Amino acid sequence: MQTNDLIAALAADTRRISPRAAQQRLVLGLGLGMATAAALTIGSFGMRPDLPGALTSTQLWMKAAYTASLAVIAVLAMLHVARPDAGPTRLSWLLLIPVALLASMSAMELMTTPGEMWMPMWLGGSWRQCSIRVVFLAVPIFAALIWSFRQFAPTNLRRAGAAAGLAAGACSATVYGLHCGEVSATFVLTWYSLGIVAATGIGALIGPRLLRW
Amino acid sequence: MVRGLDGDGAAQNALLSALAPLMRGFFARRMRGAGDDVEDLVQETLIAIHTRRASYDRNRPFTAWAYAVARYKMIDHFRRSRNHVPFEDLEEILVAEGFQDAASAKMDVDVLLGGISPKQARAIRQTRIDGLSIAEAAESAGISEADVKVSVHRGLKALAEKLKGK
Repeated sequence: MQTNDLIAALAADTRRISPRAAQQRLVLGLGLGMATAAALTIGSFGMRPDLPGALTSTQLWMKAAYTASLAVIAVLAMLHVARPDAGPTRLSWLLLIPVALLASMSAMELMTTPGEMWMPMWLGGSWRQCSIRVVFLAVPIFAALIWSFRQFAPTNLRRAGAAAGLAAGACSATVYGLHCGEVSATFVLTWYSLGIVAATGIGALIGPRLLRW
Repeated sequence: MVRGLDGDGAAQNALLSALAPLMRGFFARRMRGAGDDVEDLVQETLIAIHTRRASYDRNRPFTAWAYAVARYKMIDHFRRSRNHVPFEDLEEILVAEGFQDAASAKMDVDVLLGGISPKQARAIRQTRIDGLSIAEAAESAGISEADVKVSVHRGLKALAEKLKGK
């Protein structure tokens, strides 16, 4: 094909691109993925039975705030790596803030609890399932984010994959909070984070394959 | 570009047409004339610039964005064709290679000169490699100028015979 013909063909298909197109596209992908994850949670695990009442408990909001703040940082990082001319970013250091906050809550919790209660508090009733379910629910969100990236131009594919994995893991953990009734900060810090880290790692591993353009 | 983003097809056409020669120059300079590849890359880059224009931030310089796309396409091209040339380090590689050549040449010279008499070797080294004049070489070795000339002549002859014999 002659380059001039190509240019004519491309230019013939020039739709308006909003100045905030990248953000909109990312939010759309995130919304689709999270809706799927929420449907999966309610469908296969069920809502926590005490949900209406638990909405007033600090623990529920502690969990949601932790995972949601990780998700927000991950989304900012994704917007950054989606652009080919973006330089290095220090955004990942921000992740330390929610982790440190939750860790201090966990430390306070451990100090106010007698030693023999530590293990049950740490393992809760669902430590075997928690991380795996977080990763499982992250799959549809990750897929939707990869779809969003098709309009973007990431040049560091591994970093882009990791950011998408982190966003997917953090969002899926937020959604999983609909089901999971664990209340201890130590539990969340360990098993939720483990699931999110696993999702991030998988994202970084398969990102370069899925995101090539 | 901004008018193209707003949906103006004619502006987008003008933009891509203006970019094509720039991209052609960009790739041609870096790929030493693989003509077909260059044109393929130009087209791929234009497609990417068009279809992924959502990733351009209107508040940032456009050329930096366009060349970042082009650079990615070029790196991807080399990755695909298994032709690993890390452009960032090319200079260092060339310097290192030059050093290696020089080092192995020096070793060869040392081996060869080790095979002839020390006096001849010294005369050859000083006049032919280190760049001393006959007079300087004669003075540093404490022998006459004629002696230096004869030593160089006989030494080179001996080296030539050694090389022929190999």
